[in-house]
Amino acid sequence: MPMLNFRLLDPALLVDISRLPDLAQITASGRGITVGAGVCHHALMRSPELAERLPIINHTMQYVAHMAIRNRGTIGGSLAHGDPAAELPLLAVLLDADIHITGPAGDRTARAEDFFLAPLTTDLSEDEILTAVTFPNLAAGFGWGFEEIARRTGDFALAGAGAVLTLHHGVIADVRLAMMGVDETPRRLPAIEAMLLGRAWDAGVRASAVRQVREQVNPMSDLQASADYRRHLAGVVAGRALDTAWAKGHMP
Amino acid sequence: MQDDARPKLIGSRVQRLEDPRLLTGAGGFVDDIQLAHTLHVALVRSDHAHARILTIDVSAVEALPGVLGVYTADDFSAKPLHATSRMKGYQSTGITALADGKVRYVGEAIAAVVAESRYIAEDAASLITVDYAPLPDLVDPRIAAASNVLLHEHHDSNILVSRKFARGDVAEAFANASVRVKDSFRFHRKTPLAIENRSYLADFNKGKQALTLYSSTQVPGVIRDALAEILAMPGHSVRVVAPDVGGGFGGKASLYPEEILVSLLSRRLGQPVKWTSDRLEDLLTTSQAFDETIDAELAVDKDGRLLGLKAEILGDVGAYSIYPWTAALEPMQVAGFLPGPYQLANYQAEVVAVATNKTPAGPYRGVGRPAAAFVLERLIDMAAKRLDLDPVEMRRRNLVQPHQFPYRTGSGIVWDQSGFTECLELACKGVDYPAFQAERNTARQAGRWFGVGVASYAELTGIGSRMSAAPGMPINTGTETATVEIDASGAVRATFGVASHGQGLETTLAQIVADELGVPVDGVQVIHGDSAAVTHSTGTYASRSAVLAGGAAHLSGQAVRAKVLEAAAFMLEADADDLDIEDGIISERGTNKTLSLAEVGRAVYSEMGRFPLDMRAELDLRATKFYDPEFGTTTSATHIAAVEIDPETFIVTVKRFLVAEDCGRLINPMIVDGQVHGGIVQGIGAALFEEVVHDQNGQALSASLVDYVAPSAAEVPKLEVLHLDTAARGTLGGYRGMGEGGTIGAPAAIANAITDALSHLNINISQLPATPERIYRLVTQAIEGDT
Amino acid sequence: MIRKRPITLTVNGSTYARDIEPRRLLTDFLREDLGLTGTHVGCEHGVCGACTVLLDGNSARACLCLAVQADGRDVTTVEGMGEIGALSLLQEKFRKHHALQCGFCTPGMLATAHEILNDAAPLTDAEIREALSGNLCRCTGYEHIVRAVSEALSERLGGAATGSAPNAG
Repeated sequence: MPMLNFRLLDPALLVDISRLPDLAQITASGRGITVGAGVCHHALMRSPELAERLPIINHTMQYVAHMAIRNRGTIGGSLAHGDPAAELPLLAVLLDADIHITGPAGDRTARAEDFFLAPLTTDLSEDEILTAVTFPNLAAGFGWGFEEIARRTGDFALAGAGAVLTLHHGVIADVRLAMMGVDETPRRLPAIEAMLLGRAWDAGVRASAVRQVREQVNPMSDLQASADYRRHLAGVVAGRALDTAWAKGHMP
Repeated sequence: MQDDARPKLIGSRVQRLEDPRLLTGAGGFVDDIQLAHTLHVALVRSDHAHARILTIDVSAVEALPGVLGVYTADDFSAKPLHATSRMKGYQSTGITALADGKVRYVGEAIAAVVAESRYIAEDAASLITVDYAPLPDLVDPRIAAASNVLLHEHHDSNILVSRKFARGDVAEAFANASVRVKDSFRFHRKTPLAIENRSYLADFNKGKQALTLYSSTQVPGVIRDALAEILAMPGHSVRVVAPDVGGGFGGKASLYPEEILVSLLSRRLGQPVKWTSDRLEDLLTTSQAFDETIDAELAVDKDGRLLGLKAEILGDVGAYSIYPWTAALEPMQVAGFLPGPYQLANYQAEVVAVATNKTPAGPYRGVGRPAAAFVLERLIDMAAKRLDLDPVEMRRRNLVQPHQFPYRTGSGIVWDQSGFTECLELACKGVDYPAFQAERNTARQAGRWFGVGVASYAELTGIGSRMSAAPGMPINTGTETATVEIDASGAVRATFGVASHGQGLETTLAQIVADELGVPVDGVQVIHGDSAAVTHSTGTYASRSAVLAGGAAHLSGQAVRAKVLEAAAFMLEADADDLDIEDGIISERGTNKTLSLAEVGRAVYSEMGRFPLDMRAELDLRATKFYDPEFGTTTSATHIAAVEIDPETFIVTVKRFLVAEDCGRLINPMIVDGQVHGGIVQGIGAALFEEVVHDQNGQALSASLVDYVAPSAAEVPKLEVLHLDTAARGTLGGYRGMGEGGTIGAPAAIANAITDALSHLNINISQLPATPERIYRLVTQAIEGDT
Repeated sequence: MIRKRPITLTVNGSTYARDIEPRRLLTDFLREDLGLTGTHVGCEHGVCGACTVLLDGNSARACLCLAVQADGRDVTTVEGMGEIGALSLLQEKFRKHHALQCGFCTPGMLATAHEILNDAAPLTDAEIREALSGNLCRCTGYEHIVRAVSEALSERLGGAATGSAPNAG
């Protein structure tokens, strides 16, 4: 809407899909949780299904703008917009979500890691809409963490990180680390994930991971922060997200 | 005030009379006013910072339904208005409704579309193309000062005004100094960012050939006088009304091209014409401020006493010299207030105000004082650190002492009595300074980047005719008028030339009048913001209304009270000295004889035959008095801040903020606190968040509220304010102006606190806002410098 | 010409039927078409919060809503919250605590505060500040607004602890 108000967009036809009931469901299944594109951020925050299986999503929604925006902004809108500093694209990539799309050519599913192509650019064609997102279940006992740095409460992140991991015999058995705001799209950092496997999250491993995160990201400079500062922050948020995930992974 | 009358309302937390309408959405801001047949304006604005306008192609617009016309500078013959100044060497610039042949900043208006709705007007505006011949963009003031490329071709240079101050013997002071500290300070551009964008509605009455301009302005009287000149109309045919105005902070205290434009259009078209700024326009074109580079050095003796101060001040004043304050306003004030509230005899400053291809600079809360306080308070802390002196102790030793008033500063400003040292002590008591420091030390020992900072300042407020907000400016603002009148129903009306835009003057001035007359506060209707309601007015700015309008309210209230008592004495066959008025009832002491104000009013106006002829000449229950405090008052405060910096993200959190201030007698403590709070948060914004950024081509990069970052409730702590509450000596009523102080002390206190938090890295904060990016760079350099 | 569309909606309990352009913002519709000028426009990009209203009981930026999107819905603006002489709880507290100065941000601030009260959860001052962080004010410095909301919330919850004394300091 701001783009419309600024007259940066001048559509000949605008179609409001916000009232389609099919898009407003949250369904839990054996596979995972499927969220309709029309579900608003506030509903995500309050969803008992997500709280039970993927509480990282409920938790992260508090960082999205403010209440009045969360009441009307939707997961479909956020993903289709594809802002590299936004929380839902990060979560989709972190949690390996499937993005369900439909158009005149039929239905298809894109993996989140293939969906975000460049800042504000996604895999959606001009004649397609995003209808739902499926977040696969995670292994039992997973720990999770999310950290973002912004100038003010609710602002777009200067840098953010999400982490989920599971432990086995006191070391990391499985881990995912994804970053936002420090590259052209949200992305996983597989090299660091690989480095962490089989390790305990101790001071030495932490320092190494933080350093490597900084080497891996490609942040941009803008009015709020330089690339160097964002790069620095990337290490900070990744470290903190993993701190939290590690601590939570130990909880029964 | 009557000798034996105790003020009942002055000093008390009266709930505001403005609130019921504002709380229920029944306020009347300019954009709320809907007149029949109103036409709407959208503006085509320059996207070049400096260029000649070659062609303006409006051909695509002509046929658009709903468009009445497109106008450019050629369509109007009104002459440019200049803000003149008596300052030597000052070069003025002309203000016109639309850019004439040349644009000088991104956002300058080039063409105006008039249409039936704003939507259609904007549709049309987007179809207009402008062809430019670009000129060199003069964005850096140092380059602009030296350049042969002139923004205004009739000028000798882009330096609009310059001045040197010198007092005492600075060279000797520096030669004898034990310690010298200096730095190059940069205070970056800000915009006042009132939540209401500027809005103007001009209504020209063809039959009466008279114009009413509803303007979201702080200065309806100034605008009226200016427009009468520009439109070549007599003053009685031009009326400027500031209805409810949604904040100003100085950004609405000058004449704007759009005010001229809608007035010209309404006169031309014979219909009301409205233009409301959107936020992007506001960020581009509302006057900006605080854009200073100050190289300053302080000389101090071994006991920490200030010996001398010298400074070079470079003010970037944007493309035009604002009316009526002139481009001299802020830079000269920086120089004038730089010596601060301290004993300092030797001072030298050079000030230069340079025109650049940016938005014109204008007043913003505090004007030159926030930058001045920032610089001096930083230098004092730097010197204190070199001498291993506690910053509070250093200030204690140097503040002007009570017995030294009146004190002439190094810049020639005279401080009259104000609680400089008392505020310092009260602030320290308020935070329990030893415990405050202990908390800081404990945190530091635990590895936290925790710091505390102090700033003391003084300012002149409520200035009268012998002073000037900006030296040499074309109008004198030193007087304010009040008319108090009681009508046949006994109702009280008080009319002033001020224009309240959030400060609650409808309440505070009513408190004064009500106390003088002996009526309930909600029985007094305050009229303000209307140039036609008074013979002459300016408005509300420069912390003047409580002092000047308050003083005038006392005088006219007293005069009307005397008339009421004279009439009542006659009616009651009593002595006026034996009469009291309370809650609108006049009673004779020792008897049960009473009269209501309504009965007196009816008698005076509708039963005048009751009174002897020789009484009737002066019998109307009305008085107009003006008040000129001549010099004005000194207001002062000490601010204390505690901050914590995240050592990994460099984000600064303000943990505590306390102010101890001397603002004289408080009319309404609630309202005073509110003013201080608002100023503090704007000061925190200036210290940590807000910055107008231009690129090297003069493009405004901070173009939306996502980029120009103002603090929300979550970014600021609980605010603590303590008052001395002692009457000022020199003003009627004992008030001091206090609306701006919050922004003056807060940036300095926070800069000192951040420096304290970073002291283990020997970092000095010399640039504000101290954004996380800047702190990151300073810390990185400091750490790399060590390795 | 842009073809107008019919909409019907309830605003402050009254039903309105109008034909409007689809691109017309809810802010402009409320202010100009219905004359409800209490809802103010501060930025038109959803940041300042001055235009916040309640849409089906939930806070929403009227500047980011096309009026056609409000078709069939229930809007509450500041004019529906209370009247002179019969102020709502929040309006009373705002007045008591001097939580407004120029009044321009106030309607949006009240809408957000209404939602805080409707959520009926005890909040600390820090949490109240976060909940209000989407409404910018340049006049008050927020201090008195937080006190007003805190006291209103306390009363709504029947005097239950909110984690911090509203009038401290």
